[in-house]
Amino acid sequence: MDTQSNQLKEKHPDIESLGSTSEKRQTHFPFSHPFKWIQRKLALSTNATISIVYSNLKGEIAEDPHSEHLLADTLDFPGLLTPESLNAEGERSSELPESSSQVAASDQKMVFVNFSHSSASIEEGSFSQSYNRRQADLVYRMPSSLLRLDSNAETYDKDKYKHEEKLIKNLASISSKERVKAIQKTPKTMKEKRDIRNKVLMEKTKKSVSSSTQINCCTQCLYKTALSYQRFKNGMSEYLHLLQLWQKTLKVIGGKFGTSVLSYFVFLKWLLTFNIFSFLVNFSFITIPQLIASGPNNLSFNGLELLTGAGYFKKTVLYYGFYTNSTITKTENNSSYDMQLAYIFTIGIYFIICFFSLVYSMAKSFRKNFINPQTYSGSAAKLLCIWDFNITNEKAVKLKQSNLSTQIKESLSEVTLEVLNLSPKQRIARIAVHLLVWMASLGIAAACCAGVYFFSRNNLQLLEGNKSELENEAATLVLPIVVSLLNLLIPFCFALFGLIEKFQYPRHQLYATVIRNVFLKIAIIGILCYYWLNDVATSEKECWESLVGQDIYRLIVIDFIFCLLASFFGEFVRRIIGTKCCKKLGVPEFDIARNVLDLIYTQTLAWIGIFFAPLMPAMQIISFFIIFYVKKVSLMRNCQPPRKVWRASQMTTLFIFLLFFPSFTGVLSVMAVIIWRRTPSKQCGPFQGLTSIIDAVSGWMHILDSYSSSKWVVWIYYNLIGSVHFFFILTVIVLIITYLYWQIIEGRRIMVRLLHEQIINEGKDKMFLLNKLRALQTSKLDPPKEQQERSSSSYQPYRRAALQMTASIERPFGRNGRDFYVEPSSARIPEKTSLPPADTEGCQPGISETLALALRARQQAEWEMEDNDDEDFRP
Amino acid sequence: CKLGQSVFLCCLYTFPSLSRLFYRYRDLAPQLVPLSYIDKPDVKLPYELIGSMAELKDNPFRQRIAEVFSEDGEGNMTLDDFLDMFSVLSEMAPRDLKAYYAFKIYDFNNDDYICKSDLEKTVNKLTRNELTLEEVCLVCDKVIDEADQDNDGRLSVEDFQHMIARAPDFLSTFHIRI
Repeated sequence: MDTQSNQLKEKHPDIESLGSTSEKRQTHFPFSHPFKWIQRKLALSTNATISIVYSNLKGEIAEDPHSEHLLADTLDFPGLLTPESLNAEGERSSELPESSSQVAASDQKMVFVNFSHSSASIEEGSFSQSYNRRQADLVYRMPSSLLRLDSNAETYDKDKYKHEEKLIKNLASISSKERVKAIQKTPKTMKEKRDIRNKVLMEKTKKSVSSSTQINCCTQCLYKTALSYQRFKNGMSEYLHLLQLWQKTLKVIGGKFGTSVLSYFVFLKWLLTFNIFSFLVNFSFITIPQLIASGPNNLSFNGLELLTGAGYFKKTVLYYGFYTNSTITKTENNSSYDMQLAYIFTIGIYFIICFFSLVYSMAKSFRKNFINPQTYSGSAAKLLCIWDFNITNEKAVKLKQSNLSTQIKESLSEVTLEVLNLSPKQRIARIAVHLLVWMASLGIAAACCAGVYFFSRNNLQLLEGNKSELENEAATLVLPIVVSLLNLLIPFCFALFGLIEKFQYPRHQLYATVIRNVFLKIAIIGILCYYWLNDVATSEKECWESLVGQDIYRLIVIDFIFCLLASFFGEFVRRIIGTKCCKKLGVPEFDIARNVLDLIYTQTLAWIGIFFAPLMPAMQIISFFIIFYVKKVSLMRNCQPPRKVWRASQMTTLFIFLLFFPSFTGVLSVMAVIIWRRTPSKQCGPFQGLTSIIDAVSGWMHILDSYSSSKWVVWIYYNLIGSVHFFFILTVIVLIITYLYWQIIEGRRIMVRLLHEQIINEGKDKMFLLNKLRALQTSKLDPPKEQQERSSSSYQPYRRAALQMTASIERPFGRNGRDFYVEPSSARIPEKTSLPPADTEGCQPGISETLALALRARQQAEWEMEDNDDEDFRP
Repeated sequence: CKLGQSVFLCCLYTFPSLSRLFYRYRDLAPQLVPLSYIDKPDVKLPYELIGSMAELKDNPFRQRIAEVFSEDGEGNMTLDDFLDMFSVLSEMAPRDLKAYYAFKIYDFNNDDYICKSDLEKTVNKLTRNELTLEEVCLVCDKVIDEADQDNDGRLSVEDFQHMIARAPDFLSTFHIRI
């Protein structure tokens, strides 16, 4: 410290008197820039964060009711800032002839300006340092928002060092995992991060060495296991990485078509993982035990089975009917495997896992993407967030750019369009059209349902008729083909409605189309389920579960074929037409919404099918694999990047939600009906002979009841899972919690709104005060000049700086703040020049006004850090 | 481990992607970059090489990206800078970190504020100078008007982060797959 101050003295001859003279005064600018300016000046001149600035505040403090509080709340260090010390300082300064002649000693306040970069409490270190210089009265502490540390700005070694020191201290106190995370998250260059990390580690070792030099055996052992676990994890992730499917393909698609189209493929991949998981579970817990026990299959295979799923496949592990109800026992050891329980628990647990993972991904997606949806639409976000950094293809970049420019032009013209209000008549006409279209689309969906239902009933009767087996099998294909045709054609019909309807925003149209398509698909699946559960299940047929399984198999296969055909005709032929025959049509775009809805549709079918055909996921895996490659090739060859904005993340959230809500919950309810209400077929399947499937579990419970060691399982079953009261209470509790959270969210929303208003008001205040200050600065520019001329010639450089400073203040919010301090040597000039000495105070009310303004603004800036310490600190 | 544990801990990537990144970096100039980083060689790849990467080649902001992430501010990158860049642009980076760097990328004159001239440059880069001057001006005014919370006529980091928080697509679009 001493060497520093010596250096300072050499640099600035007048600094020696700073400690005791009190003629220097300074205006405090409550705004970030002037403050930064002062701070940087000081940092340059004193090579420290701290400095001593004298000010005559008496008048202002007395006048301003806020200031007392303001000053009080800055008194964080009572040891430094006792009235006595103030007194002492005051007396000392009053002893000096020069200053006492001008100002009364008691008027003096030494203002210690500490510029802490962090909003947290100021480090003690800097204070002990400041105390060395024995000048500390007032701590002007700024909130971090005003003095933000920017790593790109000029480096203030000391300052930065301290900031870092604190950071390191903080980091050293948290656990190593969190520390790594925190370090990773700091926006600094790698080198700085590494430095910080090394310092933190040093700090840690220092601490640990001082606290306990001996590392006992146990911790060492733990450390070693942790290390080897880390290594194992690294090694594993290397292999897991290889398992990541289609990394490169996805990159290429993203590079060429952007995030929007990519989201379809990501969704496809996500569904594929679901199916892989369910396949693994079903295969290992249901199929393998059955394969061990099953006998040979003597049905012939003729190829058509691949389409119909009947014939040969009837007697394979593909269908429910093939599984036995007996316990599979290997003769060597006594362990047995109960197929009934395995079947029901595997599928049950799979659905539970699916449920939770869907809820989890839905919640995650909602949290990420619907933070504040009502204020989302804005051109600012549009402009600054719109660039898709994924795109790496030159053509795609150019296309995106021209799309963007047309979009911007459109949005500019929309500004004028929106002002034009529609006449009531037009509005009514519009609403009427909407209503009509909705009625029409719902009607079409209902008609489709009816058609499918009658077709399926006919189908059932057809199976009873005495025809050749081949004919029968071919006849069964009619229903799936009809369903797939409806699924393919009706969406085009809905798309045509878009020509009649006029929406204010394009996204409304998108939502409307999506909702209509979902209606259609869910209605079709719903009616099929009704047919299966009401007609097939009660038809006294042999092995109705296998029949349903076959139906679903056919539906999925035919849908897959139609999907391939659709991408051939919809994209390939369409492109040929668009480029060769009808140039106006142009190259087609990839219809993300339609394709994703198709995926959701097949996934729903597959989920229903899991019970009737446990190996359905395997088919789904194969079909998804093929679809992925076909769609990719078709996309690359035939399509162009979408022109419209596609809110990928929002739409993905919507699709996950759709997958959860009508689709998965629908599947769950169908499952519930099958398990609790329907009688399984008498002659086949694991549950033959039971009145309902759930009897298998209750029967098991009866058996368990006789063993005393498993009483708890029985208790849990009867009192928790099987009890209505438990679920009633649980529902009530969940409802209460939901209500509470809802209320909390409401409260937060109000709070957010208030804070937002406050920010806006603060901004306005800031502008107002700055204008005021600027005006004052310009009007008071002359008196200080005179003052300077009166004073000694050593003040000459100061004057220059004063002009500089005022000039820079004139400039509204100078650029970087760099131009504020061209000269390090002129550090403390403005303090003198901007304010006249105290004796002129009376006749210049403007100065006190300036200070009052400054204090008011500061008070506002620190409103959040209010401290109730009302101690009178003035001597 | 050629890169050392310290790099691993400081960047958001997991180990295999890290080594992949290292090879990407090395492929840019095999004769310049050594295979082993154990003795910490001081190698810097010039901007011309960085900007010619397939991932950046056609990006209108490539120069800004390189400048922001390079330590010397001119786009010449050490391996550390390179890793840093792709770890921020990766999927794992948190929103605030991404927002901070996106802000720096759009802040063309490095004054820690996005002012109107920065926005004009951004618009021109986004649209390949296809808009007229008035249109650009209008758009910029609109953006500032909308996103400026404290009415100082320019966007600070806070304004920007606030805006980003309401733009869910940002996380997926400010992302370069490597």
